[in-house]
Amino acid sequence: MCRLMKLIRQILTAAILALAATAGQAATVTVFAAASLTDALKQIATDYEKSSGDKIVFNFAASGTLSRQIEAGAPADVFFAADETKADALEKKGLLVSGTRESPLGNSLVIVTSAEAAAIHSPAELTNAAIQHIALGEVQTVPCGTYAKTYLERMSLWPAVESKVIPCASVRAVLAAVESGNVDAGFVYATDAATSKKVKVAFAVPAADAPKISYPLALLKDAPEVEAARKFLAYLDSPAATAVFKQFGFLVRPSPPVK
Amino acid sequence: MSTAVLTATFRKQFPGGPEIAVDNFCVGRGVTVLFGASGSGKTTVLRCLAGLEIPNEGEIKFGGEVWFEQSGRRHTAKSELFLPPRLRGAGFVPQDYALFPHLTVAGNLRYGLKELPAAEAGLRVAETLRWLGLEGLENRWPRELSGGQQQRVALARAVARRPRLLLLDEPLAALDTPTRLRLRGELRHWLRELRIPTILVTHDRQEALALGDDVVVLHHGLNVQHGALPEVFGRPANLAVAEITAVETIQSGKILAIREGLATVLAGTARLTALALDLPPDTSEVYVCIRAEDVILMQANSVQSSPRNHLAATVQAVNRKGSLVLVTLDCGFPLTAWLTQAACDELALQAGAQVVALVKAPQVHLLPFAR
Amino acid sequence: MSGAEWQLVGFSLRMALASLLLVLPIGLGLAWWLARKHWPGKALVETLVSLPLVLPPVVTGLVLLQLFGRRGWVGSWLHHTFNCDVVFTWRAVVLALAAMSLPLFVRAARTAFEEVDVKFEQLARTLGAGEWRVFFTITLPLAKRGVLAGMLLAFARALGEFGATIMVAGNIPGRTTTLPVAIYQAVENGEDAHAWLLAGVSAVIAFAAVFVSEHLLRRSQ
Repeated sequence: MCRLMKLIRQILTAAILALAATAGQAATVTVFAAASLTDALKQIATDYEKSSGDKIVFNFAASGTLSRQIEAGAPADVFFAADETKADALEKKGLLVSGTRESPLGNSLVIVTSAEAAAIHSPAELTNAAIQHIALGEVQTVPCGTYAKTYLERMSLWPAVESKVIPCASVRAVLAAVESGNVDAGFVYATDAATSKKVKVAFAVPAADAPKISYPLALLKDAPEVEAARKFLAYLDSPAATAVFKQFGFLVRPSPPVK
Repeated sequence: MSTAVLTATFRKQFPGGPEIAVDNFCVGRGVTVLFGASGSGKTTVLRCLAGLEIPNEGEIKFGGEVWFEQSGRRHTAKSELFLPPRLRGAGFVPQDYALFPHLTVAGNLRYGLKELPAAEAGLRVAETLRWLGLEGLENRWPRELSGGQQQRVALARAVARRPRLLLLDEPLAALDTPTRLRLRGELRHWLRELRIPTILVTHDRQEALALGDDVVVLHHGLNVQHGALPEVFGRPANLAVAEITAVETIQSGKILAIREGLATVLAGTARLTALALDLPPDTSEVYVCIRAEDVILMQANSVQSSPRNHLAATVQAVNRKGSLVLVTLDCGFPLTAWLTQAACDELALQAGAQVVALVKAPQVHLLPFAR
Repeated sequence: MSGAEWQLVGFSLRMALASLLLVLPIGLGLAWWLARKHWPGKALVETLVSLPLVLPPVVTGLVLLQLFGRRGWVGSWLHHTFNCDVVFTWRAVVLALAAMSLPLFVRAARTAFEEVDVKFEQLARTLGAGEWRVFFTITLPLAKRGVLAGMLLAFARALGEFGATIMVAGNIPGRTTTLPVAIYQAVENGEDAHAWLLAGVSAVIAFAAVFVSEHLLRRSQ
């Protein structure tokens, strides 16, 4: 009996060591990121995976959707949204790891039109009869929609165009709607418009008129892979990552983090 | 049958099933009984005439109107014509009546009267109900009616439209015996009054005799004989008809001699005299058919009487059937006779009694062997 | 419940009723055709009709989007001929609801028609009725219960429809937002109490509709 117990102990020890050894290798970092970051982050992740050996898994959606999922207990390591208020909400609930929050990116709004739509040159032309449907991100969950509405209110255009608004579930959904031709115009980020050849950029919203667009990035408190996540966060600040963001058209803010 | 109102020659093949082939089926102005055993295809023929089944080929004509025409050849230009049931003006009464369960009696009758103005339709309904003794039942539902009432409503519904042709499928079969017998007399009366050419399907000989003027006998889907009822039932043209019209004695026999239109036939061990009309010249083997009601029995002493056939017979069995008695005899061949109860008692008939059976020569039917 | 919420319920009910009006003629025709006629390839039609029942509703929505979008086969014709848009309007809602509830209706109605004995239809023909009259005066009245049960089922299904609707009509408050879509959006916005209230209303209506439908189906047997 004693010898059997010794054997079992040896096997268990070996197993635990083996697991520990593998744990030391390839971790999977789960990143919840705003839809507008899709292409840039995917490319960054590909580069990172090659160099680090870790795996990055993404959940791209509207920031509001993501924050709701996190509040409901979704297992995630990193939160990268397009709206500071979403991160504020999570921070108030104590779901972010203090000291890890930063705002590395900015963006700009553009108005895009579908291939068949009448050309417009200014936001005021959105009130034209020829523009029947305008796609906007759903204003409560999609930051791009919130920004667009704020902008239109500042321009005193909101009452006139409100009845034409088609809410969409994310900024990429807005882009898709404009691409399909089912809506005449839509508000997306400049970075999204750049990814599509099927839409025309009709008007770029000047930074002075638009609300401040800022992308908060933070480590989540209940992150399953804390160490690997910290490594990835550090990589996102690196020159290699910054270069990719710039390449896709994002405005890169200099560190340290803005609070 | 003076003038045929409807003529039909057609073939209906059910896939993997029986085939019905009627040839020169004719219906006159009176009541034609379509007679045959169950499964002989009578209902199918009726349904083809109504337009509820479409034959594979043939033609059906009513008056001068073509109801159906289809030549069977596929590679020639098919002349296909099918007049749908609603344009034929034929009233149809199926065996189970098929009264519309969601309409009242009046509603059922009114269904076929849509072309009439409402007031006239109402009058027609009332009149038809009265004629068939159904007053007061206008607002009843079919499920509330007795079997006899349902049958009359079904008839009323078909007749209210004043159809050109009336098709009745076993009209009395679904009724219990007392109702059936009572309604039979009434039906005969109504059909006479209506004077619409009628085809009535039945397998019951009594019903046929009671209701029909002419009869068409159907055997395995083929029409094998037609003519006036008494003639067909009295002189069956072949063995099949004889069996269907239920001649009680059928016996094989051999013709011994034919002289002056009379044949001497050996049946079993008895010699019979029969009429030799319509027999093919060199017939030797025949079936002898004698109806039970054509047999007279008397005491076994020799008395001069007219019937040519005096047959010494021994009673085998005596079976009472209602007010009649069926007596089975052996006179050299098995012979059956219908007698009244009184006659049976007078002759003191019982098994083993010796009697003489008398059959008139014209009532001995000879049928050549079917080849 | 606030005025806006009652309006939402009203809108959903109106859309479900409108979809029922669209489903009825098509569904009755299909059900009768499948019940009474036989032809080569019938199995294919049966399968196609049943497809929305088992396909993910978003797939049906995708197909509708493809057909009725501004560049779709039907949508472009409508847009150019009548300047009429389907996608992102109430018309798309009715279309999505109808597409998803049609199979349920056809199934129930077909069974109801099959249970009507053909002998009544045949007899009606001998009494001079044409095919349309036979259908409306004999077949349909005798199949009443099953057809009604089918209508209720279709109505309930339409009220609960989400996947296809959100694909092809979006979520435009007051114009295409139905009860299920509103519930989804409320959850997205973190408005849980609001979501539960709407869910409750939805459940009550669905329960009532299915209850009556089952009762009718049982009685017809």
